[in-house]
Amino acid sequence: MNEKKTGKERLADKIYYLNRIGILLSIVLMFFPGVNPARVCGYINKNMSLLTSGMSYNGLIEECGRAFRQGWLSESSFQLLFAASLITCIGIALTAVCGCMSLGNLKMKRTGNWFSIAGSAAEIAGLSMIYIAYTQIAATERPEKVEPQLHTVGFLLFMIAAVVVLITSLVIQILLPKAEKDMKYAMESKFKLFLMFLPFIALTFVFSYLPLWGWRYAFFDYQSGGTLSSENFVGFKWFTQLFQNEATRQDIVKVLRNTLAMSGIGIATSWLPMVFAIFLSEVKSPRLKRFVQTFTTIPNFISWVLVYAIAFAIFATDGFLSSLLMNMGVLDSGFNFLMPTDHMWLKMWAWGTWKGLGWSAIIYIAGISGIDQQLYEAATVDGAGRFQKMWHITVPGLIPTFMVLLLMSVAGVLSNGMDQYLVFETKNNIEWLNVLDLYVYKLGINNGAIPLSTVVGMTKSIISVVLLFLANGISKLVRGESIV
Amino acid sequence: MAKTKQEKLDAKKEKEYYKKHKKTFKTKPGDVVFNIFNYTFFILFTITCIFPFYYLFINTISDNDLVRKGAINFIPRGLHLTNYISMLQAGEISQAFLVSISRTILGTVLMVAASAFVGYLVTKQEMWHRKFWYRFLVITMYFNAGLIPWYLNMAMLGLTNTFWAYIIPGIVAPYNIILVKTYIESIPAELEESAFMDGASYMTIFRKIIWPLSKPILATIFIFGAVGHWNSFTDSLILMQGAPEYYTLQHRLYMYLNQASNISAIANSGQISDTVASSMMNSKVIKYTISMVTIIPILIVYPFMNRYFEKGIMLGAVKG
Repeated sequence: MNEKKTGKERLADKIYYLNRIGILLSIVLMFFPGVNPARVCGYINKNMSLLTSGMSYNGLIEECGRAFRQGWLSESSFQLLFAASLITCIGIALTAVCGCMSLGNLKMKRTGNWFSIAGSAAEIAGLSMIYIAYTQIAATERPEKVEPQLHTVGFLLFMIAAVVVLITSLVIQILLPKAEKDMKYAMESKFKLFLMFLPFIALTFVFSYLPLWGWRYAFFDYQSGGTLSSENFVGFKWFTQLFQNEATRQDIVKVLRNTLAMSGIGIATSWLPMVFAIFLSEVKSPRLKRFVQTFTTIPNFISWVLVYAIAFAIFATDGFLSSLLMNMGVLDSGFNFLMPTDHMWLKMWAWGTWKGLGWSAIIYIAGISGIDQQLYEAATVDGAGRFQKMWHITVPGLIPTFMVLLLMSVAGVLSNGMDQYLVFETKNNIEWLNVLDLYVYKLGINNGAIPLSTVVGMTKSIISVVLLFLANGISKLVRGESIV
Repeated sequence: MAKTKQEKLDAKKEKEYYKKHKKTFKTKPGDVVFNIFNYTFFILFTITCIFPFYYLFINTISDNDLVRKGAINFIPRGLHLTNYISMLQAGEISQAFLVSISRTILGTVLMVAASAFVGYLVTKQEMWHRKFWYRFLVITMYFNAGLIPWYLNMAMLGLTNTFWAYIIPGIVAPYNIILVKTYIESIPAELEESAFMDGASYMTIFRKIIWPLSKPILATIFIFGAVGHWNSFTDSLILMQGAPEYYTLQHRLYMYLNQASNISAIANSGQISDTVASSMMNSKVIKYTISMVTIIPILIVYPFMNRYFEKGIMLGAVKG
């Protein structure tokens, strides 16, 4: 195993870096619609990446129905285009296999190299087929409708990557000595573990890091379905508009007021679960305790939509409260108790408390059972009353937990979530319910103001991270322990 | 085992001690008042937590005419199950129920399997740049790009209006991975070492040792993951705008609660077929029945999850 590497092998190791960069580049580019070489005419959806073009023929021809019927485009060239994209994708996948196998021993490397030679050759063939499909489509009778176009940058990027991978693989294959016949496939365990981890790293990258790429929309004048280019680059226009545009500014002020008010009420009452737990621990019957604990946690496990359904069943015009009061003769006709828009913040807080109180108390109940019973006995002997014991023994025992949760909620002051406000919102009470998360949703998804809502969301994310670090810093300073 | 002399002596001392301080340990009248208030509060609060579910339920199984008049408040009358049967016949609801069930099962199983496997991998010190990759994973808990970039990303990946949008993004769950990792670290390392000596591969060790031994924590994350999937609602709202066949049950319920306030509107909206609508007589019953259909699965698994509460929440406090 530990035989010395020859100069050729060391050179091959260096060339491998170039080879892997080429492979990685084409894998990443495969996901970006902006550089999709297969988008050869205006009828192909702008959101198609090379990967989606190679996976779904229906997606590819989604908008071509009319063009096919009119005879502007022939379906065969689209079939060719689909096959070409598929071959390119398979080629890239084969080179990816080589990238993984290149971490193994000599035999593995040599086998892997054949994969990448075949894969990059397939890529080049696929790209050439895309070019042929393009020339077919460009020969249409109605170029002004079809808008044939070859994405030069994307095409060249993929082509260069493929050629680089092909050449480097060939060179490596020549440089590497032949593996002995009895050699077995093997890989160092550190790389083996890494390769097992790799799919999950890729998923994390795609779903958690790749969205950050979307922040660039904040700097463009983007319309839904359009593209980003240097022409509609607007710099910080949307950031300044937040403050300069009168209507937007008023919105933002209102939204911030609601967000901070409701988070503030939440933080100001965050001691409630602790009190709930302390008083529950005073209940001597274990059966009742269990009963209360079991049933007060149920609401935490239903969604906000269901909470709204319950609010509806109890408080709406034909709900429980109305019919009860009508039966008792207090009301003449049904009344919708959800309608009045006064004290909206408190009502929202009440629903939140109903849903979460029992659940939030559990951590404190567990905390109380961890407190040494002898402390209570000693205090009793010293003549301490019930409340004195609570205040001097239980509360100090729970304060560390409380502080951690408090800091976390301070760090999350801008994120109240949107579910609750979305379900309870009506056009009358939106004035009081519109919080940041809901505002971003309505602005971006409902009104299609993508750049502006990205700006708001982006600012929110950055402030939240800063707040979290601040809270963590405070925690380290005061308790000598970090919370994240 | 017989008590030692010392223990006997201690017990005796303790008894004498309580006798001596009898007054201090006795119940005082103030305690009685306190207990009455305390018990009353908890019983009332518990009732407010249960009663709405009960109220919804009795209104779905009682005579629909009485329900419309608002006569069913505490006691069910005229029991029947036709509402539920009609609900099953309504295409949209059973479709949405299927979507919700399949995303819950598939999504949760994949998430648990991935969390177990990744949780095991990140305990392996010898992995290439283990620390870096672990941080790469964990750091995603503390930031997110925001709703709109997330949506645009899903659109870019071609996941909007597909069932997989519910499943794939949820496979890697950093928080659950941390829970599993912490748990695996508490398993005696000797078990794994001896298997390694016998030539077992990482996969074998994972399958034969780690997976069976970490079942308690896997059950915990399974339950919480399943509830999360079942309750998830905004992803259906945002990602499935062009694919009503993939709406989840929560999404359907939200639409019913919001849209139609009377029977004809429901029938006209095409949400539900005429026959079903007329058989159920009024929108109140329809809304209540869908609510119940959405709640029942939670109530069914609830007794099982109850025992994992403390474990889950306490482990969450110990992060690695």
